[in-house]
Amino acid sequence: MKLIRSLLLLVTISTSVTANETEQAEPWLERLAQSLQTLNFSTSFVVVKNNQAEPYHWFHGVNEAGDELEILSLLNGPRRDVLRKKNIVSYIEPELPPYSVISQQISGPIPAILRSDATKLSQTYDFISVGRSRVLGRPAQLIRIVSKDIHRYGHWLWLDQKTGMLLKLAIASRGGQLLEQIQFTHLDITPDLGESLKQLEQSSLPKVIEIPEGYQQQTLQWQVKWLPAGFKQRNANRHRISATKKPVEFMLFNDGIVDVSVYVNASEDKQRATDYVMDGATVVLNQVVNGFEVSVVGKIPAKTAKAIADSVVLLPKPAP
Amino acid sequence: MSENKLETVSSIVDSYQQNDEVIEELLNDKHSSATWERYHLMGDVMRGETSEVLNLDLSSEIASAIADEPTVLAPKTSTALTEKLKAKVVQFAKPFGQMAIAASAAGLMVMGVQQNTADTDIMLPENQVVKTIPLGGIAEPVSLNFQETTRSSEKQAFVEQQRRFQALLSDHQQQIKLSSVTVGEQAKNDKAEESAK
Repeated sequence: MKLIRSLLLLVTISTSVTANETEQAEPWLERLAQSLQTLNFSTSFVVVKNNQAEPYHWFHGVNEAGDELEILSLLNGPRRDVLRKKNIVSYIEPELPPYSVISQQISGPIPAILRSDATKLSQTYDFISVGRSRVLGRPAQLIRIVSKDIHRYGHWLWLDQKTGMLLKLAIASRGGQLLEQIQFTHLDITPDLGESLKQLEQSSLPKVIEIPEGYQQQTLQWQVKWLPAGFKQRNANRHRISATKKPVEFMLFNDGIVDVSVYVNASEDKQRATDYVMDGATVVLNQVVNGFEVSVVGKIPAKTAKAIADSVVLLPKPAP
Repeated sequence: MSENKLETVSSIVDSYQQNDEVIEELLNDKHSSATWERYHLMGDVMRGETSEVLNLDLSSEIASAIADEPTVLAPKTSTALTEKLKAKVVQFAKPFGQMAIAASAAGLMVMGVQQNTADTDIMLPENQVVKTIPLGGIAEPVSLNFQETTRSSEKQAFVEQQRRFQALLSDHQQQIKLSSVTVGEQAKNDKAEESAK
């Protein structure tokens, strides 16, 4: 009976909100970052988007030497694991042989900024403490990270009042429409490292990929002329798309919480009307203008993606 | 930067060549060899599954309708099914504790969601066609869904477009992982690509 009831707890998420909440949002975000960095936790969550749900296990801990250990595993379908030991992150995926990169954070469904300093977003986002509700059977505080302009989505965080841990996350449009949700289904906080993290501590990770200096800061022929405020270029390179082997000019931008990719390549078609699909909050937009295909991918509204795609221009240089 | 190194990275990313060094190093390591062997084995099995393709649903209306509905988290399952699930949960819960409950809950959600889409089956293709503007001039055979695509060129163009979107989506995720290397230096370089307006 108890089990059935706990299942019911998972499925009935009350979002009752008390309006007269005057608490500051920033200390909550700082507390969340602190918890994500220092606690030994073992947790499960489900990413709900479109008509599918993706379940994950997530383990995190700090060993005696003070180094962080982390495991994130997708539980359905082909195996996808992310392992982290301090500043080495390894990806085990079906598409590629295992590899590692040097990074302080894993790239997964939960925005990495939450474990560093989300208050850095204050130029482009407002932080609003909305109120209390009950999530995962615990009293939770709802914090909204709301865009100051109309060009991006908001992030809603439900944080455990006791530990500051993330219990639920939703990406919502400005109209309040939920596009993607991450619901935690179980959370254990322990004083010691979990068993799987102890195993990770003992194992050595795949070789770190060497990325030649300057590879991610190449001068490209195409340039993006318009982006919402706060987006900065993180990467500019030429590579082939793994699945199609198509050579592309590629630019990656980030506003602190959202990544946006822009691809430009020659196309067999002369013109093709703009077309897009949504994978949860992620839009994939694609159009061909004058024989050049421009694609934009990221967790931004389709309108924003279209404006970015339209702003792509060829630099005044010898044409290809 | 040498052209050679660059090519190596590119080919690793494109999985043109298997990175034997990585594999070799892993196999030689006594501590981790068991763990990694398991990972590789799993990977191999999974790679064999050609049908496992990320399912991009085109209907944002349906997506949002589902997102809005609490039924995503509280699926309407038939009583017989619920009884079966309950029995399973109890079975699981004994040996594995709470972890198993969480996993079963996830299973429950997936089931419920699948039921939802079954209900809207008639609607779905309609919406997809509306959302996806068909394109002309592409006649490349698509091996994955060969039988499907022979039906009509419109359908084929649709499949082609879906593959294009999916390739972009997975490349986007891949590049984010590889780019995280530069995050620390971002403040230094700060090649601000601020908006013009």
